[in-house]
Amino acid sequence: MSWITVVVIIFIYLFFVMFLGAWAGRGRESSVVEYIAASRSLGFFVMYFLMGGAIFSAFAYLGGPGWAYSKGAASFYILGYCALGLVPWWLWGPRALRAGRKYSYVTQAQLFTDRFQSKALSVIIAIVSILAFIQYITLQMKGSAYVFEVASGGRIPFWAGALIAYVVVLIYVFYGGVRGVAWTNVFQGAFMIIIAWILGLYFAFKLYGGPSEMFHQIATANPMHLLVGPGTKMSFAAYSSALLVSVLGFAMWPHLFMKAYTAKSERVIKQTIVLYPTFAIFVVPVLFIGFAGVMQVAPDVLGAPDRILPWMFIHMKFPSVVVGLVLAAALAAAMSTQDTITHAAGAIFAQDLVEPLKKEKHTDKEATMWIRISVVGFGAVSYLVAVFGGQTLVSLLLGAYGSIVQLLPLAVATFFWPRATKAGAICGLLVGVLYNYGIVLKFIPQFWGIHAGIQGLIINFIVLIVVSLLTKPMDKEHVRKFVNL
Amino acid sequence: MNNNQENGGYGISVFKPGTPSKEKTRGIIAFIVLCVIIFVQAFYWLFANSVEPIIWGMPFGMFFVVLFIILEFVALLIIYLAEGDDSTKGGTV
Repeated sequence: MSWITVVVIIFIYLFFVMFLGAWAGRGRESSVVEYIAASRSLGFFVMYFLMGGAIFSAFAYLGGPGWAYSKGAASFYILGYCALGLVPWWLWGPRALRAGRKYSYVTQAQLFTDRFQSKALSVIIAIVSILAFIQYITLQMKGSAYVFEVASGGRIPFWAGALIAYVVVLIYVFYGGVRGVAWTNVFQGAFMIIIAWILGLYFAFKLYGGPSEMFHQIATANPMHLLVGPGTKMSFAAYSSALLVSVLGFAMWPHLFMKAYTAKSERVIKQTIVLYPTFAIFVVPVLFIGFAGVMQVAPDVLGAPDRILPWMFIHMKFPSVVVGLVLAAALAAAMSTQDTITHAAGAIFAQDLVEPLKKEKHTDKEATMWIRISVVGFGAVSYLVAVFGGQTLVSLLLGAYGSIVQLLPLAVATFFWPRATKAGAICGLLVGVLYNYGIVLKFIPQFWGIHAGIQGLIINFIVLIVVSLLTKPMDKEHVRKFVNL
Repeated sequence: MNNNQENGGYGISVFKPGTPSKEKTRGIIAFIVLCVIIFVQAFYWLFANSVEPIIWGMPFGMFFVVLFIILEFVALLIIYLAEGDDSTKGGTV
């Protein structure tokens, strides 16, 4: 395997994606609603890949095989979560879309802030989202860096690998806005899916003569690997609560929630939800890659489980061109998530944090400029965190990452419960987020292995309801606007 | 559940006022079906925590998870088609 060929293929791929993304946004007017929400005009095909690219992250592509390899049946959780993640969006998506058109929102916080008439809420949501995004991006950067490390046989160091992929993403997000993100995701999504199927089946047949035989061998060698529960890598409570919290929280991720504003119509949102489970089916062969590795390499030889996919390649003696394409696909997974998040982070920072804190309202041109500046600023900060981030910083980010699901009660209250008040919303959210931090920082023990998010969510709902009932109801006409959408 | 008039207009409001009752029933059924699918998926180990039989090249647990993904897709498709074009008027779950 010539590393130069591999690296050249990856670079050709990167250039192609960069031009595609920058080209997608050409000739469009420079306005906030265009840059963030593609003028509310995206059709089904692009929406499908836009949402799909976001979940097909480095986690699915590198982490998925890693889980299958090291945790076995616990990795089925990834399938269930990918398939169901968008289902609750059936409740939020169309309603958010109608609200967005009526009252011109482009972000999630704008909706909640307007409902609860609170700038403080906007600031809290923006801070939690941005910290969570940094954590999310850091994971993707590590993924990209692995790819370059493997491709170059260790010649491209971590800092450079993470930087190269991210600069490409920044360029097309900067110029292309959400259209750039959407069209690159169409291409990258299709590319990844094809490569995933070929690889998963290839390994199973080449090494074991087929998937059935592969699982027979795994079950004989380690009977517990393909089960969950006591004596395995994941307890029953952990599996179920992790799946539930992921499904409830998925559509609450601000970068996904706000995509409701990009859709052309409610039908488009519903079509996307209907077809979303197909992405989970695409993850099946990705898990096969990890399972195929179980009988091939011992964990202590491998080091980190996330290295299983790259490891499998190096030891299969593929031609350089194939290795280049496969690594480009892994990079595509990381990049198609990075771009959505970078774009959303820029939008949220400018619209939900800077704008409410300034006295005068931005003009459309100023606002778009602020978003672009935020995109670049966010990129720089998350890169620095990925390269230099220490332990304290990591737990700060992890806490925010787990806190996203705590936005759920706000959505429920906005659309279904007019009696919810500003004080209730703020108290509920703060308690939920702080409880989650309490568990991450180990001030509070984690009961019975139940996911921290679920525990926080229950407390969050209780606080929201109790405080709302204790405070004066908000203006009836105002709150009914949101339930009568 | 649609007690708009209760609590002086502050009650829990699942459907928009004036939603036809047929549409409401459909929404509630869809909601229940999807909840069942989510719970079965979350508690898959109650039903299929075993390796054998291996079906479609997958251990039974994995097959079960994939089967419920397919069922979910079919259920969503039926819900979507049943809604028809009147969903543009809004109001269903």
